Amino acid sequence: MKAQSEELFVCFHVNGEASGRRSNLTIRAEKRERERERESSTGHRCFSVYFSSPIPEVMLEKQLTGHRVDRSICAWFWDQADSFKSFPVIASPTHYLFQIVRDGITFLACTQVEMPPLMAIEFLCRVADVLSDYLGGLNEDLVKDNFIIVYELLDEMIDNGFPLTTEPNILREMIAPPNLVSKMLSVVTGNASNVSDTLPSGTGSCVPWRPTDPKYSSNEVYVDLVEEMDAIVNRDGELVKCEIYGQVQMSSQLAGFPDLTLSFANPSVLEDMRFHPCVRFRPWESHQILSFVPPDGQFKLMSYRVKKLKNTPLYVKPQITSDSGACRVSVLVGIRSDPGKTIESITLSFQLPHCVSSADLSSNHGTVTILSNKTCTWTIGRIPSDKTPCLSGTLALETGLERLHVYPTFKVGFKIMGIALSGLRIEKLDLKTIPPRLYKGFRAQTRAGEFDVRL
Amino acid sequence: MPPPAASSRYPSPSQPSGKSEVTDLKSQLRQLAGSRAPGVDDSKRDLFKKVISYMTIGIDVSSVFGEMVMCSATSDIVLKKMCYLYVGNYAKGNPDLSLLTINFLQRDCKDEDPMIRGLALRSLCSLRVPNLVEYLLGPLGSGLKDNNSYVRTIAVTGVLKLYHISASTCIDAEFPATLKSLMLHDSDAQVVANCLAALQEIWSLEASHSEEACREKESLLSKPLIYYFLNRIKEFNEWAQCLILELAVKYVPSDSNDIFDIMNLLEDRLQHANGAVVLATVKVFLQLTLSMTDVHQQVYERIKSPLLTLVSSGSPEQSYAILSHLHLLVVRAPFIFASDYKHFYCQYNEPSYVKKLKLEMLTAIANESNTYEIVTELCEYAANVDIEIARESIRAVGKIALQQYDVNAIVDRLLQFLEMEKDYVTAETLVLVKDLLRKHPQWSHDCISVVGGISSKNIQEPKAKAALIWMLGEYAQDMSDAPYILENLIENWEEEHSAEVRLHLLTAAMKCFFKRAPETQKALGIALAAGIADFHQDVHDRALFYYRVLQYDVHVAERVVSPPQQAVSAFADTQSSEIKDRIFDEFNSLSVIYQKPSYIFTDKEHRGPFEFSDELGSTSITPEVSSDIVPAQQFEANDKDLLLSTDEKDDNKGLSSNNGSAYTAPYESSNISSQMQELAISGPAASATTTQSSFDFDDLLGLGLSTAPAPTPSPPLLKLNARAALDPRAFQQKWRQLPISLSQEYSVNPQGIAALTVPQSLIKHMQSHSIHCIASGGQSPNFKFFFFAQKEAEPLDYLTECIINSSSAKAQIKVKADEQSTSQAFATVFETALSKFGMP
Repeated sequence: MKAQSEELFVCFHVNGEASGRRSNLTIRAEKRERERERESSTGHRCFSVYFSSPIPEVMLEKQLTGHRVDRSICAWFWDQADSFKSFPVIASPTHYLFQIVRDGITFLACTQVEMPPLMAIEFLCRVADVLSDYLGGLNEDLVKDNFIIVYELLDEMIDNGFPLTTEPNILREMIAPPNLVSKMLSVVTGNASNVSDTLPSGTGSCVPWRPTDPKYSSNEVYVDLVEEMDAIVNRDGELVKCEIYGQVQMSSQLAGFPDLTLSFANPSVLEDMRFHPCVRFRPWESHQILSFVPPDGQFKLMSYRVKKLKNTPLYVKPQITSDSGACRVSVLVGIRSDPGKTIESITLSFQLPHCVSSADLSSNHGTVTILSNKTCTWTIGRIPSDKTPCLSGTLALETGLERLHVYPTFKVGFKIMGIALSGLRIEKLDLKTIPPRLYKGFRAQTRAGEFDVRL
Repeated sequence: MPPPAASSRYPSPSQPSGKSEVTDLKSQLRQLAGSRAPGVDDSKRDLFKKVISYMTIGIDVSSVFGEMVMCSATSDIVLKKMCYLYVGNYAKGNPDLSLLTINFLQRDCKDEDPMIRGLALRSLCSLRVPNLVEYLLGPLGSGLKDNNSYVRTIAVTGVLKLYHISASTCIDAEFPATLKSLMLHDSDAQVVANCLAALQEIWSLEASHSEEACREKESLLSKPLIYYFLNRIKEFNEWAQCLILELAVKYVPSDSNDIFDIMNLLEDRLQHANGAVVLATVKVFLQLTLSMTDVHQQVYERIKSPLLTLVSSGSPEQSYAILSHLHLLVVRAPFIFASDYKHFYCQYNEPSYVKKLKLEMLTAIANESNTYEIVTELCEYAANVDIEIARESIRAVGKIALQQYDVNAIVDRLLQFLEMEKDYVTAETLVLVKDLLRKHPQWSHDCISVVGGISSKNIQEPKAKAALIWMLGEYAQDMSDAPYILENLIENWEEEHSAEVRLHLLTAAMKCFFKRAPETQKALGIALAAGIADFHQDVHDRALFYYRVLQYDVHVAERVVSPPQQAVSAFADTQSSEIKDRIFDEFNSLSVIYQKPSYIFTDKEHRGPFEFSDELGSTSITPEVSSDIVPAQQFEANDKDLLLSTDEKDDNKGLSSNNGSAYTAPYESSNISSQMQELAISGPAASATTTQSSFDFDDLLGLGLSTAPAPTPSPPLLKLNARAALDPRAFQQKWRQLPISLSQEYSVNPQGIAALTVPQSLIKHMQSHSIHCIASGGQSPNFKFFFFAQKEAEPLDYLTECIINSSSAKAQIKVKADEQSTSQAFATVFETALSKFGMP
């Protein structure tokens, strides 16, 4: 028995809707005899990577190992029913497929050997992140216009099926991002390559996330606390679950080899933290101090969770009564506990039940839109001081239905600048050696994550 | 870059629409190839881009290979990269042309710029053309010694690529040894990680035929090396950390200090930003502490929080992968997660694959303390817009009800569902109420009053309808209009499409008849008549059976059809604990996602003959073999079969220990009491002999061999049943269950090889020796067969996998047998039969 280990192939393809063109395709399963010993499958290898867009079409394909994966695997994938296809891990007759969907683009990786599923999914997420970082977003045209860069990136991110560097800072040194300047230059001089001339020094550095010696005339470092609140309010208006998922995002442009420490005024509110590799573990364990040499540019320093919050800043009181084929709806939104800063961009959206044939909804503040897919969005903005925003109106049910049996769930959106709802506060940020002209900045904001109000 | 013509987008490697463009490109490239005019690189770049974009969308542009190579003599690095990409894609198909590229790649390997050196080396190794390996050795050797770590990293991976093209060349050049010293001494972490990955792969592939490689493979797991990696783990990037953690999983710690040292070293990895690292660490922790129960529990506590955070912080895809693993842990230790139930509440926007897993978790962790909250939450989903989730959540409520002792509140909730008047909610609930009544008949009063109010007309789903009919039959005495509802249903017999419903109707009519004969007699008559005339075999048989039993004796019929109600104490678990344990051993792998141990879905060994026959391709299939194709297609269903079979097993266990106790217990006790009597009479010594003798008696009945004299050296001649029969599914199941009792290699005589042009020739031959083929496949020179045979007069099977290589004239067989002791005898028969193959 010949053991066949580590192979993984990645394909990025676009999320498939049925299309007339793909009718007479059949998949021929690969007839290769591939035997495998579990013991020996030490590494993980993607065979190939595909990107594809909303119509079933392969935008980009990269084969990673000697074992070629036939593209027909994508056709097989598209032919699957939607309910089956949506799973992140799928077993096809010949391969295991991992997929993630980002902005309508499906990233697909195939492998034939056992590997940690999360590793493949994480890798695809990184690929998506790096690409959207490089291309300034993700969509079909962007990928197609820049596919050479995508290939270059993939080349450096994964070799022979095993992930190498996914750190954006390092990649940026190897492959220059496409930007207006380089495009201009190439027009003017006809000689700009999007490959930087220098070799990534970070690959040789003992701090893999940082280039060896970046130079800046002015040194700047910004810390952002970004929190998202997830909450569920049940039918009786009780807060069933309320927690905050927060991130400390940093943007650092510091010359040399800066050593930073960041401390919080009240680290005890934090429940479970995850750190960027640059954070030293011991100082946190003993004194709850973040000590680190930052990567250059933007990065996520840590993420954390704060459980069991007592209150949401907003209340939403929906009411639906239905009788003899018509429903009356009224929804009130107001401030429950004042966070001390203005609550902005308040929105409320919900899906009208299928059995609703028409809806007539209006509000005393903000705008109400109902899309053809029966999604209703109420944009409130800020809560006015003189009245309580109220959405009211009637829903007509399909003929034959007396009462409403399926109730919508209201999704609430909001944003509060200048405050972290968890109460977490940054105490100070110190540098071991203070460079000339140093600017430090701190910001905080909270927004709604998954804030569901059920009815 | 304009998108290519729509018609050529998909899938079309050979569609004509791309052809004219390709010829066009070809001539343009040719013009540029020799040109040294300024700005020529730009035009080349445009053309290259076009070529690669065609390649990307699947148009075959291999025909411009020569032109591409000619154009690649340039100093422009983007052009080079594009050319490398192109060449890498097509070199395999054009070995002759790729010789051209070797030249310029080799030159680039000596470039001043380390980036070009690296890229060139990577492309060179990716050509994968076997007859060009000699050109790889030089550049690889110098690449491994390069002073730039980027080049070394690529060279190390290059060695692995070389190994896959030509293992012997790689070994002869002693690259593994070089990699080993690099792994131990290189300053760059990525180089070290790549060395580790490459060496693991090379040595485990070599291990099968080289003792030295086997030793080297073992040495990777030695204590100093493991600590060498673990101590430096922070220097590695996240993916390399995963690699090291996986190596650490296989390490066998020497003592408990060792275990704690490793856990201390790795504890902060649980807070890594990369979920893959966290999960790999969790696996190390779980595996290390398996033998230490207390610590193992603490590990659960420790890993709980990082995992829960990962679930809520990542993308839905990441959440899914982590939830699958959490599910495994939750099932193993529900009490640890019992207080965290709120983490598994479904958010509206989550994809349904995440919601489904969360529902399963909620079901698993429900206990006395949190049932109320969980059921309340689940009930809210029942009104969910997503119908599939609504159904799942009702089922979840039902499962919780069946797990719990205090079901009072839950029954009320279930009955409330019935009042929602949504057809799918009602349907799911009816099925649940039926199960609940089977387990807790004491609730019949409450349930029946509500169920009685449901109009059977509103229920369309067969399962729900069957459940309702079952209740009508079972509780006919409590529901005043049961006979009339049944009568109504029976009158519409023709419109009832589901056989399951018709079967239930028959049974319910019978049960109702025994309880309320006068009201039901007519309906039963109609039902039996309609049933006997039914085209469905099962329905027909059951109706006929009822009819005859009734004719024979009504009382007997009642005893058979409507025995006194017995509460079902436990429903069959979907998975045996053995399987769960196996999945747990494979933590952080695909097994967890599929909730099946990997041998079921990956191992060819266990897929057995069916998978293989699927791989035959259509070329060698003749009618004989094609009959085996059917089971091959059933493979999908096979996974379920295994689960089913364990179900049955559990079911049986349940029967014998619980439900069946009414029958077995008195028997056993009488047995014991008789022994007790003997004991009283003859004293302790005598009783010992009686039990002893009874054991002997048992032995003689079943396992006579243990007391039989030692088997004689020459195995007795084995007689095989010439008409043995075994269906493919049973074969597969056996093949999976039985251990290999014998594995041998024979040489096949030349006449045999000559006769073995197609697999069928051997199959016929073996059949004449009472060895039957169940599946076969392969093409010259490799053939693979699965045979089975049965011992004459005894239902003992011998299963054989036989691989014949006609070029080396060797046959390898693996035998699995019901009766291990005679497998040698069978092998002899097999060999004799095989040796006669091809003889006139």
